[in-house]
Amino acid sequence: MPFPNVRLSNRPLHFIYLCDCSGSMAAQGKMQALNQAIRQSLPGMAEVARENPEARVLVRAVRFADQAAWHLAEPTPVQQLQWRDLEAGGITAMGDALNLVADALQSPPMEERALPPVLVLISDGQPTDDFDAGLANLMRRPWAQKAVRLAIAMGHDADLEVLQQFIGPEPSGRGKSPRRPLQASNATTLAQYIQWASTAVVGAASMPASRVAAADAGAAANSPANIPLPDLPPTLLDPSDDVGPLVW
Amino acid sequence: MSPRWQHLQACSVIGAAHRRQQKPCQDASLSVELKARGGSLQLLVVADGHGGSLYRLSHRGSALACQVSQEAVEQWLSSTPLTEPERWRQLLAQELPAAIHERWLAAIAADWALQPDAEHEPFSPLLYGSTLGLVLLAPQWWGCTGIGDWDLSAIDQQGQAALRSEEREHSGSEATGSLCQELDQQLWGERTQLHPLEPKTDLQALVLSTDGVRKSCATDADYLQLCAALLDLRDRQELEQGLAHITEAGSGDDVSLAIAHRASQPRRSGVLPRGWRWLLLLLAASGVGLAAWLIPRQETPLQAQARQLCANPEQIQATLNQRRAQFKALLEQPQLASQLQQLASTDPLGALIAASQSGPIPGCTALNAELSRQWQRARAKAVPAKGKMPAAAAPAAAPRNP
Repeated sequence: MPFPNVRLSNRPLHFIYLCDCSGSMAAQGKMQALNQAIRQSLPGMAEVARENPEARVLVRAVRFADQAAWHLAEPTPVQQLQWRDLEAGGITAMGDALNLVADALQSPPMEERALPPVLVLISDGQPTDDFDAGLANLMRRPWAQKAVRLAIAMGHDADLEVLQQFIGPEPSGRGKSPRRPLQASNATTLAQYIQWASTAVVGAASMPASRVAAADAGAAANSPANIPLPDLPPTLLDPSDDVGPLVW
Repeated sequence: MSPRWQHLQACSVIGAAHRRQQKPCQDASLSVELKARGGSLQLLVVADGHGGSLYRLSHRGSALACQVSQEAVEQWLSSTPLTEPERWRQLLAQELPAAIHERWLAAIAADWALQPDAEHEPFSPLLYGSTLGLVLLAPQWWGCTGIGDWDLSAIDQQGQAALRSEEREHSGSEATGSLCQELDQQLWGERTQLHPLEPKTDLQALVLSTDGVRKSCATDADYLQLCAALLDLRDRQELEQGLAHITEAGSGDDVSLAIAHRASQPRRSGVLPRGWRWLLLLLAASGVGLAAWLIPRQETPLQAQARQLCANPEQIQATLNQRRAQFKALLEQPQLASQLQQLASTDPLGALIAASQSGPIPGCTALNAELSRQWQRARAKAVPAKGKMPAAAAPAAAPRNP
């Protein structure tokens, strides 16, 4: 009998940042705030990964300005990640960034057993290329359809409509929802959202419960996300929060 | 004459992540031999409760799914000869899914009525959501049906495994068909098969599993090789230990396997077959600690079982929860106790439970305390409580050494 070369494995969880590095990000310390927020979130993310050994959290990052490029090309275990600062300059090739991620979400290189990836799109402006084509290309990938897709709008100039298209259908009703673009109006709020995405969301995505296919029998109508998302952190959207001044 | 189905085993083990989070095992499994006119029909069932807050009673839903599947098959078995495979094909595709679905809805509604939340919360089948895969094994044919993301593999006489049934992919993450959906004959039909068994069939075994097993393997090729290697297991204890290591080193999800074997040649006992030895070495090399597998067995099966349980006291409750129906069966049929104790080498856990009926057994305090608690629960409740269906409630259904 041939040797049973059975490899048991925990499941990879790909966490991909898509970061706007256009020239406007240089203004008002936005680029610095984003770098700082991501760097500060890493220990918490590593702790969540340690608590969920069945998931192997692997981080990547795409930067987009005049064109999109991998800033962190190799899926890197979060425990080994050293964040290298992003730099601002150029326009907003967001559609190009989606194409880049679409290529990465093909199988292969995506593993058969991977957990649904987490995609976090962060932008302060409007796409200057063919966003629709990029999004359509991305959403043709089954892994993109399964992904947890989050968007963070930095400042009031961000195009909330395209960010909502990236996330998916807007939830019914009003109020805070992770299924809407998260609006960060200063460094504190941005850091809270990045921390939330890299810890609470990663925790939820690390051990997803099965769910009923199709309509989820109506009960999930208010929560169409593939993975039930945890509550948002307090923000300026909540009048009772104290998160500092409106800056961006 | 084609070889008989034999060496049936079924087992569910709580996932490493669920154990850490102190959640119940949401998987259930069953293997049982059902008497039929002119022979017997073997039944394998696995069910996987969805877990999560939307489906918070899914551990009960999966256990009830196993129970009603057996009841539904028994109902048709009394009126349908096994010598009519075309009729059974029709049953598997149509009447059986409808009967199982109807019985399951009734069972979970009855269970919900006993829940404290029933007073202030409307009933929803979603709470009990579970997948279900079942395989029928007759002397002249085998068939399967079900709904959800279970997998079925066939192993041929050369030891090669091939996937025979899997769920088609859904667009949503971790999405699966479920008993809690409205009955969709098409979804069941996609998983329905019936195959005649020719006298010189190449089929050696069938392995039915919940998705946690396949997701614990790096690739499908690894999963199939694992299925083939499973046939070298000697007994249920090894199966339980193997499953525990699979979830520990893999997905962390609950894991269930049900295996039916047709090999007519007797297996050597007391010596690990080559394929399994290699698997043990591989797992040990990956740091998952299989030393316990290699401990020489000079004690009685019951003593060995007690020692194993006492070595991992945090697992005692989950292990005994799998046998709740066996506690209940022993109360209802006292004669089962002696039968189970005679079969201690086949089903040491069953023998241990039977022995504990008359008082404390040699072992640790934690084990005797949990046994006592299980007996109290069995006396108090008629419906299987949260947890899993037993792989074998009675000796007739217990896994057998070849």
